[in-house]
Amino acid sequence: MLLPRFEYHEPTTLEEALKLLSELGGNAKVLAGGTDLLVRMKQKIDRPAHVISLARIPGLKEVTPRNGHGISVGAGASAAALSRHELLWDRFTPLASASSRLGSPLIRNRATIGGNLVNARPAADMPPACMVLNATVKLKSRSDERDVPVAEFFRGPGETVIEPNELMVSVNMETPPPWTGGAYFKLAARKSLEISLVNVAALITLKSSNGAIVDAKIALGAVAPTPVRAYAAEQVLIGNKPSDKLFQKAGETGVGMCSPITDHRGTMEYRCMMIEVLTKRCLSMALESARSWKPLK
Amino acid sequence: MGEFNVISTRAPRLDAAAKATGKAKYADDFSMPGMLHGAILQSPIAHGKILNIDISRARRLPGVKAVMTAKEAGLVKYGVSPARYDETLYAYEKVRYVGDEVAAVAAVDLATALEALQLIKVDYEELPAVFDMFEAMKEGAPLIHDEFPGNLTAEVHQEFGDTEAAMAECDLIVDHTLLNKRQDAAFIEPHCCLANFDLDGKLTLQTSTQVPHYVMRTVAMVLRIPVGNVRVVKPYVGGGFGPKAEATPLEMSAALLARETGKPVKMNYSREQVFLHSRARHQFYAEMSLGVKKDGTMVAVRNKAVLDGGAYTSFGIATVYYSGSLLGGPYKLKAMKYDGMRAYTNKPACGAQRGHGGVIHRAAFEQLVDRTAQQLGLDPLEMRLKNIMATGDVTINELDMSSLGMKECLESVRDGSGWYKKKGKLPKGKGIGSACGFFVSGAGYPIYRSDTYHATVMVKLSEDGGIVNILSGSAEIGQGSDTMMAMIAAEALGVPLDCVRVVSGDTDLTVDLGAYSSRQTLMTGHAVKEAAEHARAQVVEVLADMMKCDPASITIREGKLLFDGGPGKFDEIRKTYMKEHRGWTDPPSGDYLTFKEAARMAYLAKGTIVGTGKYKPPKLGGSYKGAAVGTSPAYGCSAQVVEVTVDMETGEVTVDAMTDAHDCGRAINRTQVEGQMQGSLSMGLGECLFEEVKFDSRGRILNASLGEYKIPTALDMPNVNTIIVESNEPKGPFGAKEVGEGAIMPTIPAILNAIYDATGVRITELPVSPERLYMGMKAKKKEK
Amino acid sequence: MKRIIQLTVNGELAEVAVDPNRTLLQVLREDLGLTGTKHGCGLGDCGACTVILDGQPVNSCLVLAVQANGSDVLTIEGLAENGKLHPLQQAFVEKGAIQCGFCSPGMILSAKALLDQNPKPTEKDIRMALSGNLCRCTGYQKIVEAVQAAANGEYMQGGDS
Repeated sequence: MLLPRFEYHEPTTLEEALKLLSELGGNAKVLAGGTDLLVRMKQKIDRPAHVISLARIPGLKEVTPRNGHGISVGAGASAAALSRHELLWDRFTPLASASSRLGSPLIRNRATIGGNLVNARPAADMPPACMVLNATVKLKSRSDERDVPVAEFFRGPGETVIEPNELMVSVNMETPPPWTGGAYFKLAARKSLEISLVNVAALITLKSSNGAIVDAKIALGAVAPTPVRAYAAEQVLIGNKPSDKLFQKAGETGVGMCSPITDHRGTMEYRCMMIEVLTKRCLSMALESARSWKPLK
Repeated sequence: MGEFNVISTRAPRLDAAAKATGKAKYADDFSMPGMLHGAILQSPIAHGKILNIDISRARRLPGVKAVMTAKEAGLVKYGVSPARYDETLYAYEKVRYVGDEVAAVAAVDLATALEALQLIKVDYEELPAVFDMFEAMKEGAPLIHDEFPGNLTAEVHQEFGDTEAAMAECDLIVDHTLLNKRQDAAFIEPHCCLANFDLDGKLTLQTSTQVPHYVMRTVAMVLRIPVGNVRVVKPYVGGGFGPKAEATPLEMSAALLARETGKPVKMNYSREQVFLHSRARHQFYAEMSLGVKKDGTMVAVRNKAVLDGGAYTSFGIATVYYSGSLLGGPYKLKAMKYDGMRAYTNKPACGAQRGHGGVIHRAAFEQLVDRTAQQLGLDPLEMRLKNIMATGDVTINELDMSSLGMKECLESVRDGSGWYKKKGKLPKGKGIGSACGFFVSGAGYPIYRSDTYHATVMVKLSEDGGIVNILSGSAEIGQGSDTMMAMIAAEALGVPLDCVRVVSGDTDLTVDLGAYSSRQTLMTGHAVKEAAEHARAQVVEVLADMMKCDPASITIREGKLLFDGGPGKFDEIRKTYMKEHRGWTDPPSGDYLTFKEAARMAYLAKGTIVGTGKYKPPKLGGSYKGAAVGTSPAYGCSAQVVEVTVDMETGEVTVDAMTDAHDCGRAINRTQVEGQMQGSLSMGLGECLFEEVKFDSRGRILNASLGEYKIPTALDMPNVNTIIVESNEPKGPFGAKEVGEGAIMPTIPAILNAIYDATGVRITELPVSPERLYMGMKAKKKEK
Repeated sequence: MKRIIQLTVNGELAEVAVDPNRTLLQVLREDLGLTGTKHGCGLGDCGACTVILDGQPVNSCLVLAVQANGSDVLTIEGLAENGKLHPLQQAFVEKGAIQCGFCSPGMILSAKALLDQNPKPTEKDIRMALSGNLCRCTGYQKIVEAVQAAANGEYMQGGDS
């Protein structure tokens, strides 16, 4: 399969990249891992006149803890790097887990968190995880900079609030409070190389190891044009002691938040049923993780 | 050690090191100076009249060297079975599916060729299309081929014994239906070829094919090149599984364009085009009834098949016959009735894929056996054991089971899987299932009516050095036939395997029908054995003369000659050899005369030593219509037990364990036989759980990629407890018969029967996606 | 407009002029004549094009050649040393892990990347590491056995090609 022709730019600094974006904007696509963009270009879905590679720009790949109260993940960090990161697994489990389930090991070595978020495929793995972690994304343009909560980032399939002259440089999250645990669950046909049929991320905070749920976040992917927070389902949980019955109720409520489609991968009816099942499971996994919370050394 | 020196071992493949190092060259790895790239224009609509084709702009694009349509290519009809030559290279008058070939272009590079395709203007008058096989056969459906009213490619009606009467005798009659979807073979190497004419008008076509011989004939016929001027050479091939067992428009286009331009032309199918070309597994609807006695004895079968064959026939006639004939065994029956229909639809043509027409009907039948066993209160595996045939039995449709290790296969998987410990004792959500199957070891007749040998082989001994060169038109496509031939030749000659070289896959060498219908081990192997023995006889004749002994007293073992079991007095011979090799610092030594020396003597006495071998099956089968399909010199058979875990909340199926026993007559190479078993099971698992080609309402494929057409990954396939059974087939070389296709037969039903065991849901439609099983479980709950 | 790129391929410096829209796979195969890396799908779905890029196994069909400027690339041709098979190659040969061979270069390189990182992998680790490389012939079993055997040191460096 052949790639169409394009002008290639390889800025070596962030400033250079932002300058290019401000000039070329709508006629350019940013190339990070390439596992999405190059596929779309080979399929003739995207035909940008310009491609701006981030490969040479320093500082975009780092995962930087911020002194116990948060973490900054470079938008160019690969899914593989995230899936191996100890602190992410420990404190930001849904993101580490989602990263580990993306595509295949080969894809993960190239795919980036920035790409996964900006491409905004409804079934993407990382967005629901970022949502339950209350992440914000830092968008820079030549003249400006803004932080957008992930919850407000997605507009529709393939559409986000990012402007043509903006680049996502980092994804930032506050460390969740003690007794918080998270999980990510993906339903697909095979056990690798799959796009989710339904995916769920959950984050639960307990009052104490045996205590009630003081906070809960649930996000669902592949069941609406964008990933969605299941706010009503979260309300079912907050203030109550965790139990299978409670999680079941949350699952049932979650279904109401979604508008899955019927397509060749599955029917709406099945997806709705699975929202219920997977939400329940994801919550159980998150609970287990919350109960085994330990302070960092 | 055993009775053999070379065969029956785990010798590494001859080509493994080349493949492990990237040295092995496949079709796309070749280039020639001045090479052009070709591309094919395909119809974007499923059914339509071609009103006009304007190639003028394409022709004028700089870099374009030739543009061909039906007008330039001609209208010679071709296909697979001569009785159904229903295709032309490029569509004329109408297109019949999305992907139907309309024109081809050769240009200096692929990008230019693809750009040229965009400049070809085709005016279509779109016609109503039909995509469902049942709809296609109804009154008033759009007619796809004028000569085939009702869109019926082929119709089969067979009856053996008196089914009505036999059913009337039965205590119980059970029904079952099963519907699958079209599959794709999903070999990892897409089709590719390189065509080049020399200045004498001789074509050399390098192509990724299973059947150089059939490609040669088709290309010669369609392009009207004298057949003696067509040479097809198969390089290493990255898998075939059936769809590469016929000539493709890619090959014919490359040859046509090469002839037109006078330059070598390379052409590839993209992965998407592989799906569009298809020639893969049909969609089958199976509807059958089994009549039994209450003690579980099988009496009669009524079997119906409806096939979606797509826009052209391809292998389809054989397919629709196989759906019936391959139910004649492996169980004893008093009567069998079969009605089969293959319909044309406006979709890519379906052909032969591993197990051919037998796979889905075998799956349906094995589910039917389980269903029946359940109603009778019998253990399904025991019921199978009760009814299976044995060596020497002949099926009701006159297929001769000259060897059949069916009992041993069933007992091995029963014991190897721990059947009795598990059946009926597993927790909810876990299940165990069994099934059997059998398959031909090479089709009894070639695809075109002919008296041709199915395999001819030359074994040429090097004039010096004692190397054994096997020359064969057979096709190594990954299944290991080259190594099989080498091992058989080495065994027959009495030399070590490392003395043997194989040159194969070239129509200039010998005739071989190729790699399909699981034939090469039995048929080509037979010819190799004969050729090796012939070469051996010539060497022995010369040695007997030189040593003044009876040829029958000479043995060759591990490359050494024994005379009456001993070393004999061969000093003179060795002296002669050494005189011919003055200056060598590593002369033959040791207490025995070496094969190298003997072969040299034979050459000096007789000239180049060439052994020839050939194989043609005897006239097989009954005298009824269609009897040919299903005939074979021998049949491989197998049994499987599969264990699954079903996620009761999502419907996801995980195959935890597979126990597989296959009777291959004699394992020429044990590792290779196991590899074919494991690979077959992996394909069966994929077809059962994940694989289907999906179409939209306009006949376009929705999932023409390996991302959306899902074959098992390393995380989806369990380990297989692989058991080789050897029934020593009298008509096979050293007792060998097939494994390549037969092994897949029990896979789908064993999984389905295990799913039933786990959930109580009897699957009637494939693939068993999580959703399908989930909905099945939901419906079952409602019933209760 | 072509760019000159320099990359180390199998230990040797290569310099090529490439159009930006050429993939690393195309340049390896067509410009450098290293046809051991295969094209199976072009979309990252099959892994036949796997190479080790700066120490990581990737689908070379989804890497632009220009992105590999200055990088280190290992293809299947770079594994054997002085005509001697790498232990993984030997294991694949001996254990019957190769049938048609088309997935083998990619599969072997993914396995090498695994063993470089994790010299004592479990069966699960192996299957996970190979889960981006499709095989239609073998059912993966003998491939897994070969990787295990190589990891266990059954094949020391120095077999014959």
